[in-house]
Amino acid sequence: MEKTRGGMWALMCFLLLNWLSNVSSLSVTVTDVECVYEYVLYQGDTISGNFVVVDHDIFWSSDHPGIDFIVTSPGGNTVHSLKGTSGDKFEFQAPRSGMYKFCFHNAYSTPETVAFHIHIGHIPSEHDLAKDEHLNPINVKIAKLREALESVTAEQKYLKARDTRHRHTNESTRKRVIGYTVGEYLMLVAASLLQVFYIRRLFSKSVAYNRV
Amino acid sequence: MILRSVLVLVLLVGILSPASESLRFELQSSQTKCIAEDIKSNSMTVGKYHVVKPNEDHPLPDSHKLSVRVTSSYGNNFHSAEKVESGQFAFTASEQGDYTACFWVPEHSPQITVTVDFDWRTGVHTKDWTNVAKKGQVDAMELELKNLFDTVQSIHEEMFYLRAREEEMQELNKATTSKMFWLSFLSLFLCLSVAGLQFWHLKSFFEKKKLI
Repeated sequence: MEKTRGGMWALMCFLLLNWLSNVSSLSVTVTDVECVYEYVLYQGDTISGNFVVVDHDIFWSSDHPGIDFIVTSPGGNTVHSLKGTSGDKFEFQAPRSGMYKFCFHNAYSTPETVAFHIHIGHIPSEHDLAKDEHLNPINVKIAKLREALESVTAEQKYLKARDTRHRHTNESTRKRVIGYTVGEYLMLVAASLLQVFYIRRLFSKSVAYNRV
Repeated sequence: MILRSVLVLVLLVGILSPASESLRFELQSSQTKCIAEDIKSNSMTVGKYHVVKPNEDHPLPDSHKLSVRVTSSYGNNFHSAEKVESGQFAFTASEQGDYTACFWVPEHSPQITVTVDFDWRTGVHTKDWTNVAKKGQVDAMELELKNLFDTVQSIHEEMFYLRAREEEMQELNKATTSKMFWLSFLSLFLCLSVAGLQFWHLKSFFEKKKLI
């Protein structure tokens, strides 16, 4: 009785830990450096995710050159880095367990909003199966299924963030086009008015017109 | 004057699909960080937050206690707490929109850094997984599979949402194109009319001046 209860608890804990595979999705306004910390429970866990720079106020200038993304392991080594991108996906195995640091670095002064999603997935291996006799191969399959679903969800989040970015770009373009067009009209009318006034002045009585 | 530089980092969660985030971030003294999440109407949301203690034995000084406020995009307050070490909130979102959770620590003369652990779950992931402990082995697996099923459903809904967004974007692009089309005609018309007006005005002016 005691043994089965202990086994049940082990299974509970295992399922719990499986569930605890971290999912984190949010976006940050990066002026200089923004860091998020995530705890990785097991060595060899797959850390996957994506990030998209949802442009802030692109008005006068063209696209922002991009931001840098650096992942630091608990030991202080840089595990993964991407430079000057406007959004990308990433996936790698965690070399060790511990607290990982995910940093976004903005080299330019304009603040940028970054939407990102980080997922840490754990699939029990054959070794875990051999150790714990209450662990069913079905649990491995369930874990794999869960990981597959998480990858679909992550992809959806990436698409949604990119869609937001495109929406921002389109709306900004639309505003700019209308603004520039109306400005162009006003300039045209002003230029022609100035022309007319100048010509009138040239031929006015106060100035001898044979000077022209 | 008092505001040295209150850095407001708006953390927006750019997703609608059910998500959970268990992340850590750092707060400087008198700094406010806000996390916002776009929550569907009638979906349950649960949040837990606590300050990560620098040393376990000593009680947390007042300067390290954090204050929280959770508001909806319409300004309704759903949860607020002043100078607490940890807490949690749960509510059902009555309307769809951005719900913001803002954290801040009181001002302190040597700048201190407070690490906050925040866990915010919406939708599918709200289901309290401590209930798993009460059930048996098969029930736990059933719960897992039920969870997977709910995840699949949420993926399905998210696909519909993405499709609708894409259609909106297409409509926006079409509207922009047609607007540009009409604006270009307008600019041609304007140019010709301005030139015509100029010509007519100058002609009548010169005829009045008896130069023509």
